[in-house]
Amino acid sequence: MAETEITFALPVTRRAIADFAVAVGEDNTIFFDADEARRQGFPDVVAPPTFSVRQIFEVPREEREERLGASLDYGRVLHGEQEFIYSRLPVAGETLNGTMRISKDFTKEGKRGGSMRFVTYESVFTDADGAEVLRALYTLIETSKDPGA
Amino acid sequence: MTAPTNRTLTSVVPGMDLDEVVYGPLTRDDFVRYAEASGDDNPLHQDEEYARNNGAPTVFAMGMLNAGYLAHAVSDWFGGPHRLRRYKVRFTTRVWAGDELACTGRVVVVESGVVKVGLEARRRGSGPDGLGLDEEEVAIVGEAEVVLPE
Repeated sequence: MAETEITFALPVTRRAIADFAVAVGEDNTIFFDADEARRQGFPDVVAPPTFSVRQIFEVPREEREERLGASLDYGRVLHGEQEFIYSRLPVAGETLNGTMRISKDFTKEGKRGGSMRFVTYESVFTDADGAEVLRALYTLIETSKDPGA
Repeated sequence: MTAPTNRTLTSVVPGMDLDEVVYGPLTRDDFVRYAEASGDDNPLHQDEEYARNNGAPTVFAMGMLNAGYLAHAVSDWFGGPHRLRRYKVRFTTRVWAGDELACTGRVVVVESGVVKVGLEARRRGSGPDGLGLDEEEVAIVGEAEVVLPE
């Protein structure tokens, strides 16, 4: 029996922020230099806008599939869309509480025959005070045929 | 090197184009580095043989790596990443090693202190041999909402 949601912790460390920022070509000092970040009014270095994709470290794909039960065939799955809604950026030193659930699951007929199933995993991240920091919507598209190009 | 542009609300009007930012050319090392930093270890992005056996002529960039570059461009256009309130992307084609990623944006609406921006990231390059790709293709269509000081 599938569960309706998965809860997990997402640690936000200086090291993880720096590694992630380098990987997306960032050079803004507020990701690397805590003193500079403080001078700009942040408690510590902040995480880049797409940093929360690191949730895959905490909830790997197999676990997500097994527990939320979308039964996707990953040979036919593409990452279709991604959305982030921010109250603020995560800050080094905190651990966010994540809650992931399937918020959308629908099938649409394709223009050239076949159908596409859209499954959206929505993750809400809150801080130690319970306030929402950001939410991330991860939409996968499962095609009914070989995805081709 | 890029640096955030400090922009105020009054300096932004609908129809305004943001200066194109070009990242890359992307390399396989970039894909490996992103895999380690992001946790996306899907072998399609790192393992040539696996990619060829799964319908791709070679490895290609993670969508979220490209989205990460585009978010970087948005952050720099509007004074820093903390200006973002919403960021949404739709992936339209794959981006290959050797491609550049050209990011552009246009202000759509300015309303109640929120600036809505239309985004595009285009792959630019010859692509894998034998695929006959256009030199330039739209890889991401996106939108962002940012808040700016008065």
